[in-house]
Amino acid sequence: MKKILWLILIAIVPVATNAQDANQTISELINKMHGVKDYSVDALITSDIPMVKILPSKATIYFKQKDKFKIDSKGIAILPKQGFTDISKMLSQRDAYTAIFMGNEAIAGTNAEVISVFPVSDTSDLILAKLWIDASNDIVLKSQITTRSSGTVGIVYTYAAQKKWGLPDQLIFTVDVKKFKIPKGVATDINRTGTTDSTKPAAKTGEIKIDLTNYKVNLGIKDEVFTK
Amino acid sequence: MLIKSTLNEFIKIAAKPRSYLGLAAITVLVGVILFALKADGMSFISFVTASFEQTLTFEGNILNGNLVAFIVLQMLVIHIPLLVALVTGDLVSGEAAMGTIRMLATKPISRTKLLMSKFVAGGVYTLLIVIWLGIMAVFVGKVIFGSGDLMVLNSDGLVILQEADIGWRYIGGFAVAFLALLTVSSLSICLSCFSDNSIGPIVTTMAIIILFTIIGTLDVRVFDNVRPLLFTTHMASWRSFFEDPLPVAQIKESIVILVIHNIVLILISIFKFNRKDITS
Amino acid sequence: MDTAEKMIEVNHLSKRFDSFEAVKDVSFTVNKGDVFGFLGPNGAGKSTTIRCMLSLITPTSGDVKLFGKFLASHRSEILKRVGCIIEKPDFYKYLSAERNLEIFARISGVDSNRKDIHRMLDFVGLNGREKHKVSGFSHGMKQRLGIAQSLLHNPDMIILDEPTTGLDPQGIIDIRNLILQLSREQNKTILLSSHQLSEIEIIANRMVIINRGVTVIEGEVAHLLNAQELIVRMEVNDVALTLSLLKEEFAQIIVQREEGNVLHFSVNRNHIPDLIKKCVARDILIYAIESKRKLEDYFIQMVTN
Repeated sequence: MKKILWLILIAIVPVATNAQDANQTISELINKMHGVKDYSVDALITSDIPMVKILPSKATIYFKQKDKFKIDSKGIAILPKQGFTDISKMLSQRDAYTAIFMGNEAIAGTNAEVISVFPVSDTSDLILAKLWIDASNDIVLKSQITTRSSGTVGIVYTYAAQKKWGLPDQLIFTVDVKKFKIPKGVATDINRTGTTDSTKPAAKTGEIKIDLTNYKVNLGIKDEVFTK
Repeated sequence: MLIKSTLNEFIKIAAKPRSYLGLAAITVLVGVILFALKADGMSFISFVTASFEQTLTFEGNILNGNLVAFIVLQMLVIHIPLLVALVTGDLVSGEAAMGTIRMLATKPISRTKLLMSKFVAGGVYTLLIVIWLGIMAVFVGKVIFGSGDLMVLNSDGLVILQEADIGWRYIGGFAVAFLALLTVSSLSICLSCFSDNSIGPIVTTMAIIILFTIIGTLDVRVFDNVRPLLFTTHMASWRSFFEDPLPVAQIKESIVILVIHNIVLILISIFKFNRKDITS
Repeated sequence: MDTAEKMIEVNHLSKRFDSFEAVKDVSFTVNKGDVFGFLGPNGAGKSTTIRCMLSLITPTSGDVKLFGKFLASHRSEILKRVGCIIEKPDFYKYLSAERNLEIFARISGVDSNRKDIHRMLDFVGLNGREKHKVSGFSHGMKQRLGIAQSLLHNPDMIILDEPTTGLDPQGIIDIRNLILQLSREQNKTILLSSHQLSEIEIIANRMVIINRGVTVIEGEVAHLLNAQELIVRMEVNDVALTLSLLKEEFAQIIVQREEGNVLHFSVNRNHIPDLIKKCVARDILIYAIESKRKLEDYFIQMVTN
């Protein structure tokens, strides 16, 4: 009997310890994120999305704590609906989720903790978020967010000069495209006689790469920037 | 004598109230579209991009003058030919109905030159219509909505063209649109040579355009060989300037087809008009 | 030998419209300086012939020469020297008189400036109406404007197809005087088609009559008509006595018909006073006597045979 109890204790402790580790990792991540009061950065957005043709476009991204976010683009830029501020918003509400440590995985030669985040509420749009976190630097290396409305968005983060702030210099988003449809009757090339190649399998995902340069961190951004 | 006769035709066109109907109609039509888009244009765009917006978001000034001009051109592709035919369809038959053809045909100018002067005047009027449409759609559109990249929805997806890359596309597009409308003008003048009343050629021109457009859009195999030869198929070629990559071969083909149509229509008109017994 | 310069030569002209032959065989010649009457009943083919002469209609066969040159091959050169009004002159109603003349002058091969146009409008009696739109013109005014446009390029020959149609008596007189002026003062050759036999008789020196698309007769008016001869209608109380008088005293008079107390006969106008005197002397009562020109009878006779 005693032996069985010891076995159960031995099994639970690592789980309990790991749950505490997951929360710890996320807390440290959030603390690092909160170190950035505001920033602006120049973005070059390159999209490779089926059914969308667009040249690389330029934009400026502004952020201010706790949740002010704006993308200022002279031309048209296509961005993923999910993925920019969702992680920090989600992780800031500590009572709204449960974080579970799933193990370790190497990402580009770096050891990352894999943490799954489940929302507490059944009605939340978020179904699951999976984070690969470099705990030694408190940065997210990769994430995978699944929502009811947008499907699954995968993000790969690359860091350079702004690593100390936890700000990436490149983001690569992978988005679901299988729901894209062109509304009939609105498409404007009414006389197009060419046929689409139906032998090629339809692409299911698309990619958006954002290169971030010229960060200006904690220099102060006026609130008016986010309202005009 | 050709130049003098062409000057005469300009004077006659400029003096007819119906010549201004086309310009006024464009002003009103484009005005209504601009007003509607200003009031609720974003809903229209959302309808178009709805399925993309589940996973993507579009940043920037989407509803800008370039897009508005594109929408205006797209909507008016059937209506502008009528405004052209309203004036050009009357150039020969209107004179017959009025009796002035009798006066003109007893002058020392050859019938061929007389007719060619009408073709030239009709062509210039068509150009005026196209320029006015451009001013209203592009220029006024940009004044109201500002400028920006152009988002074009094709049957195979979205194309987003950068603002700096749009100007020459509009110039090319309008040039081809002018060539298409010139074909309408030539058709109506040609039909005008066969009639002694004004309404017949105008209605017949529109009937032909509608019929050919229906044949062009019916996706049935029996029309596959005919479709590329119809001038209405190539009337929408101005849109090709807004594709990426630019379908150069397709544009060239359309230009050639439209030019051939114009030449054939002019030759038929000259043949008919020279042999016509003027009994009115 | 006929040495007059031939201005118009129509040779065996025919024109068929589908199954209808409007002109079968029309031939005539117009000499320089002629005021040439072109006569025929309605539907005779006058307008069709004139339109063939002006290249409005292509003949089925035959040819037309103007100024000694074939119309088919020298059209532009010929039409520079011809002014015409075909039926009623039609103008651009939405333009002014001045603007209308400018338009036609521009393609008539002459450089007419505003002064020339105003002078011409003045000549036809439309001064002060230069800027008025033709839509407000009466028929007579349009006719005048038509003459103005036919003269603007100072043509050598003028072809007028029924120029007095629809005009009031004063208008008819004005047109007649204008034609005479053009002929006598400016030595223009004029071809004039008309129903008004009296007008032709007054102003034309030569004429042709066509009927059912065929030339009936051509020649000098004085020669053809012999205006001295009259057809008389006389109503008397005693026909037998009148006939007896005519037989005895006026053997050259031929009685054409008797209708009760009315006699119809042809007589030289110089004999009429004498005839009346002798009737009175024999107590023949004359209730009515009227005469008509032989031209009308001649015309009717030609076109009804």
